[in-house]
Amino acid sequence: ASMCKIYVHLNYTFPCVRLLNATHQIGCQSSLSGNVGVLHELESEENLDWVLTSGPNPPYMVILESRLFTRSIMMKLKEGSGRVAGVVVVAPNTNPPEGFSPHTACPNDNSGVYTENYDPTLAHCNATVWNPLGNGLAYEEFDFPIFSVKDDNDTRVIRQCYQDHNRRVNGSNPQFPLCAMQLRSSMSAVTNTATCKRRNDINFSLTPDRVCDELGDFNIWASSRPMNTTTKGHKEFESVVIAAARMDSRSFFFDIAPGAESTASGIVTLLAAAHALRRATQEAPPNRTILYTFFQGETFDYIGSSRMVYDMENNQFPLDLDNIHSVLEVSQVGLHSDSKLWLHSDPVSRKNSSVKEELVNGLKSASAGLNVSVDEPDVSQPLPPSSFQRFLLARPIPGVVIGNYRSSFTNRYYESMYDNAEYLNVSYPENMTSEEQLEHFPETVKTLTEVATLVARALYVQAGGNETQLANITADPQIVNQMLYSFLVRANNSWLQQLVPTDFTNHLGKLLFFLSDRPTNFYVGVIQYFSEPTTLVQYMLANMTGSVVNVTQEDCQKQREDKDDDQSKHLYTYMWVQGAAPPNSTEREGFCVRSTVHRSIAVSPAFELHEYTTSNYSTWTESVWKPITGRIFLVASHDLEMLTLGVGITVLLTSLVLTYVISSKADILFSSGREPTSATY
Amino acid sequence: MNLERLPNEEKLGLCRKYYLIGFAFLPFLWLVNVVWFFQEAFIKPAYSEQLQIKSYVKRSALGLLVWVTVLTTWITIFQRFRAEWGEVGDYISFTIPLGTP
Repeated sequence: ASMCKIYVHLNYTFPCVRLLNATHQIGCQSSLSGNVGVLHELESEENLDWVLTSGPNPPYMVILESRLFTRSIMMKLKEGSGRVAGVVVVAPNTNPPEGFSPHTACPNDNSGVYTENYDPTLAHCNATVWNPLGNGLAYEEFDFPIFSVKDDNDTRVIRQCYQDHNRRVNGSNPQFPLCAMQLRSSMSAVTNTATCKRRNDINFSLTPDRVCDELGDFNIWASSRPMNTTTKGHKEFESVVIAAARMDSRSFFFDIAPGAESTASGIVTLLAAAHALRRATQEAPPNRTILYTFFQGETFDYIGSSRMVYDMENNQFPLDLDNIHSVLEVSQVGLHSDSKLWLHSDPVSRKNSSVKEELVNGLKSASAGLNVSVDEPDVSQPLPPSSFQRFLLARPIPGVVIGNYRSSFTNRYYESMYDNAEYLNVSYPENMTSEEQLEHFPETVKTLTEVATLVARALYVQAGGNETQLANITADPQIVNQMLYSFLVRANNSWLQQLVPTDFTNHLGKLLFFLSDRPTNFYVGVIQYFSEPTTLVQYMLANMTGSVVNVTQEDCQKQREDKDDDQSKHLYTYMWVQGAAPPNSTEREGFCVRSTVHRSIAVSPAFELHEYTTSNYSTWTESVWKPITGRIFLVASHDLEMLTLGVGITVLLTSLVLTYVISSKADILFSSGREPTSATY
Repeated sequence: MNLERLPNEEKLGLCRKYYLIGFAFLPFLWLVNVVWFFQEAFIKPAYSEQLQIKSYVKRSALGLLVWVTVLTTWITIFQRFRAEWGEVGDYISFTIPLGTP
């Protein structure tokens, strides 16, 4: 027997949420109890007329196929705000071939080094537009909710309801009852970051509500040679080469950020390069230290890198800006057809630098024996959006950014939910365990391994290493495969399970983290919540650059090698990981990994300095919201509702009148012929 | 309390008390004064204390009118312009609506 339900709840929905910065609010908002609208499946852009002007039952909840989720349609919907209750985007199972990028055409325009002061011809993407497919939708403000649903059972129910009740038959308008949807994503914060932080702090109201939280997490860094991390500020005789990559991405919808080409390709390449360099940096250490740095929050105006530069300027970091010799950043390197990588550098600071020439030459010669070729773009072209720009803002440090694009991104899905494993051609056979799947090596793994070898060799030479060692530095394709699988398919696989601790609970028993069964979500999120890639990179980097030491679990967790050791904690980090189970047992044998991996806080300096209106640093915050839900149900016509109300009021008034009349004439109506009892004799 | 049963001097005393205490920022007392003593002051046939009761009621009504005007003006201005006052508006608010400016 089928159960009759009034409401059908939507299960896997991803909302668009509100984000705020110093001057604007972006994203979507619904009313406190949710926006209700009559469903309408949009067939084409011309069909918008029904929603915006001619439809008889506004407001409408518009259902869009992904091919119709374009800037022109969304802007028109935004204008017709009274008649649009919300938008539902049906996410397809395959990526749209024409590309889609909700990010701006000039990413991180006002937070990099290219301002009017630095060089006006290079500011605001005057020289080259990096993200030409960018339609800027993710940075618009909508006053109705926009949800994304997957094309599965839920969507079938929605479509069936629409077909049954809302479709126009032979040109006549659909009759009530109609199928309607309610979407609730009520955001508490408004206007901008300064306003919402001010309202957070108001403490004389009865129940102070948090309205927004700042975005941020941690950067991960490790040095190829141990150095004292307890002493902060400038270190004499220490010269480092920073090998940088970014760790975060985003999309139009909340908590979806597969970031395959924009983020994962860079992380995997740098981690594999670190692994390839482990033996060479230990046996034949180069003059300079290599600092592998992974920055978090770069999508939102360089949160991580601006904080690291700020810490270096204020002696809060174990190194100083004067300790930096050069920077090599790995940007999007997932290769496609022509196997060519481009070496971007800054035209303004290039004039004074021979170090940069060394770096470029090192990269070119390292590519000699490999299947990857490198080249430099136009001399007048600026740097692409990269963490290196924040270092340049502080000092004219020489550096190169490696990417697979010459003058605009080849990534057709930059910062969108389609930048996933399918786009990088990474796929594994279905219906197998993770171990079996990892035996299969997609083509992308081979190309990324080549790039990782290139980066490793170039780093070694740049750090002053001996060129005769270069032939021994090669990246391991199996490691690349395992990492790519962990980031793009699922982190909960047998390889990664060995590298992480048994449980991620804190001392209060609260579960902090777990390996997920879905593609990694690279969204940086608010500082109160751990961002998934940060933890994954931390443990992977420890495994790639560290070594196993024979230390008990208790000592390991107390950051010492034995009972009396109190020096090691200044140089190393110790992690107890759960390891693998030996063949004839089910208990895992844990071990202690000693590495130089550290976390440094990645929260914008604007929040340290309490300057919420500054344009020098990132000021991004995320609104707090009430529970986010969606459901569909049938609605009756407004006239029927009014009629029911009218009848009810009439019954009420009639009964009041009747009661008054009866009670005033009660003695006549209810006289029973008795003698009057009052006797006044 | 039923005014019918009170002697006239006590009625006058009550009216005066309500009038005087209403100056302590208590306009509702003046409202009560006006409503309660309206019948006594204007409808009932004349008696000796009625003239004074009438004057208290009139003065209470005047004070009430002033209060109503001032409060209505302030409330209208506040509701309309609080969002534009930014920080000052937030500082003098007790509860601030979520999600709207």
